[in-house]
Amino acid sequence: MAESYRLGLFTYFSLATRNLLRNRRRTLITLITMIFGIATLTLLSALNDGWLSQMKTNFILSYTGHLQIHAKGFETSQNLNDRIKDPEEISRLMQSYPEIIGWTQRIRTSGLASVSGNSAGIQIMATDPEQETWVTSMDQGIKEGIWLRPGMSHDLLLGRTVAQNLGAELGDRVILMAQRLNGEMVSEVFFLRGILETGAPQIDRTLAVITLNSAQQWLQMDQTVTDIVIRADVHDNTDVLYRLFVQQLSDLKYEIMPWQELDPMVRQWLEFSDAYGFVILFVVIILVLIEILNTMLISLHERQKELGVIVAIGTKRHQIFLMLLLEAVMLIFIGAILGYLAGSLIVFSVADNGINLTHFANAFEFFYMDPVIHPQLTQSSAIKILGATLAAALLAGIYPAWKATRLQLSQALRIQ
Amino acid sequence: MLNQQAESVIKIRDLHKCYWVGTMPFPALYGINLEIESGEFAVLAGRSGSGKSTLLNIVGALESTDSGRVEVLSRDILSMNQDQRTHFRLHNIGFIFQAYNLIRVFSARENVAYVCQLQGKSKKESMEIANHWLQEVEIGHLGYRRPDQLSGGQQQRVAVARALASNPKLILADEPTANLDSMTGRHLIRLMRELNQRLGTTFLISSHDPDVKQAASRLIKLADGQIVEAWNDIPKPPSSITSSCPMSNLPLTERLQNYFKAARGNARNKKRRRKTRRRS
Ligand SMILES: Nc1ncnc2c1ncn2[C@@H]1O[C@H](COP(=O)(O)OP(=O)(O)OP(=O)(O)O)[C@@H](O)[C@H]1O
Ligand SMILES: [Mg+2]
Repeated sequence: MAESYRLGLFTYFSLATRNLLRNRRRTLITLITMIFGIATLTLLSALNDGWLSQMKTNFILSYTGHLQIHAKGFETSQNLNDRIKDPEEISRLMQSYPEIIGWTQRIRTSGLASVSGNSAGIQIMATDPEQETWVTSMDQGIKEGIWLRPGMSHDLLLGRTVAQNLGAELGDRVILMAQRLNGEMVSEVFFLRGILETGAPQIDRTLAVITLNSAQQWLQMDQTVTDIVIRADVHDNTDVLYRLFVQQLSDLKYEIMPWQELDPMVRQWLEFSDAYGFVILFVVIILVLIEILNTMLISLHERQKELGVIVAIGTKRHQIFLMLLLEAVMLIFIGAILGYLAGSLIVFSVADNGINLTHFANAFEFFYMDPVIHPQLTQSSAIKILGATLAAALLAGIYPAWKATRLQLSQALRIQ
Repeated sequence: MLNQQAESVIKIRDLHKCYWVGTMPFPALYGINLEIESGEFAVLAGRSGSGKSTLLNIVGALESTDSGRVEVLSRDILSMNQDQRTHFRLHNIGFIFQAYNLIRVFSARENVAYVCQLQGKSKKESMEIANHWLQEVEIGHLGYRRPDQLSGGQQQRVAVARALASNPKLILADEPTANLDSMTGRHLIRLMRELNQRLGTTFLISSHDPDVKQAASRLIKLADGQIVEAWNDIPKPPSSITSSCPMSNLPLTERLQNYFKAARGNARNKKRRRKTRRRS
């Protein structure tokens, strides 16, 4: 056809709007259902994002940091021989990246602690007490006593549980036993200065903290360390720093590990919770889709005759298709936006105080979770929710619209 | 205007139409031959079920046939595909229905303007055209009302305005007065007849209404899917009023038997044609 006859966009919109207003009650019920669904979806995904981000923060700040650099192979061998021989070389790099808030050097090794006859296996973590406060919030986890100070050479901190298991109290003599670089077992007396909680119970069961200097002397490590732990300004910059270090440092000498890799359990939890988020998204969207499909099909059925007339007087099939599609898309879009707004409102109203799950706290105690969840709206969840709804709108709109184009004209016109 | 050159607007040759409900055939039209010329005000009469609506729908390119030729404005409408038919209707045919069939969500004016917009005219121009036609059907002051705020007679006038607004050569009206009281019906018919004479638009109207028949320039009577009688107020050569149908004198059972014989043959063709239609 040489000429193309197009209806103005305005005509489509006004037809769609008026047809939606035609059966106000039905449109309203559909909208309320959708608003409820999308609001719930928004709230649930905000809760999910909230606790995920709290968990990340807790995990990173309790002990691990965003990024760790080890000598090649240390993470699997946990052997002091796999150590960073020239930590200053790496430390010089730190200054040049503004994304780095703080970094510290550590020595990690396993050992044994005993207090007046009780003994327990421990993880010794030696760090610079001042530098450490830039990287983790371990110092704020002190429940009794004090955080270490530089120069304290025979002083130690114990995790809450390990202290309890040993029956150790502040000021007690704690004998630590560990292996030197050359394999020789040595023991040393330390005094208990503080008891701390990292927020991760499994760490609190084995943690013993001493100063880096005392460990280097005691274990004859000289100036070498096992870990360099880095904290980025925001979680999302971990990847940026990771890539920078991978470029700068030889992968023959060093292994560079982002936080997700340092604890496979955490990684699994994150993946699980992503999957959980998708399942909720999927379920809600399917429900919305069915609801819209139902509404559109009923309305299509009621309007068969009118559609027949519209076609009879000259409306082309693609125009009918667009009219009905637009109706469904408009309905879903209004529902999605109102639903998202309603959900956001709920999120905002509870975000500051959080949702207190103390009553169920036992279940939450393991694994970096706070008993109070602060739901969080993120850009990516908004995109996910609105994108999925739009996709659903198209899906739910296409079928009835297509069906309308297949209308049997003569039959439709005979309907009384 | 009427008798310029006898140019035929509708030309039907040997038209057969049978509805199928499952495997049961319901014959609706049998061997229709008909020619309608430009400017006629032709009325299709006949008992309920005689095939009036079916014939109108076929002429209006709304329905397909089993066999025969149908030319409207010298175009073979049966060979057109769906979109071509829609296009053809939009530019050449206006429809008036028994139940008015206005678009409920549009005002009277918007209902009329809608066809102009479909034709690609701007909203403003369409509205002006709509105003003009609403004036013509004497309800210019009611343009802003929605159909459910108008009486039946007023709605049918809107429908007439809508049918005329696309500037068609042919208007098909299926029992336009059946839902109206006789007074209102008479007014409407007078209006349509007047427009027919003034504009020269051809009308083909199906009706039981004696008032409509009276206004007709030509009366075509259908019975059991056949034309049994035609009458014309303008003398014409007999060939243009094809009404002879020997079968119509036979008893009904015999006629049906004959029909089925023909229909069986047509059904085979029909299947073949359906396939080709689907392909197109
Ligand atoms: N979709 C259909 N399926 C089966 N038979 C049909 C169908 N539509 C119409 N018919 C039959 O075709 C015949 C002609 O119907 P049509 O509607 O053309 O009659 P009509 O003359 O317009 O009647 P009325 O005056 O009641 O409107 C009738 O016998 C009818 O039962
Ligand atoms: Mg009829």
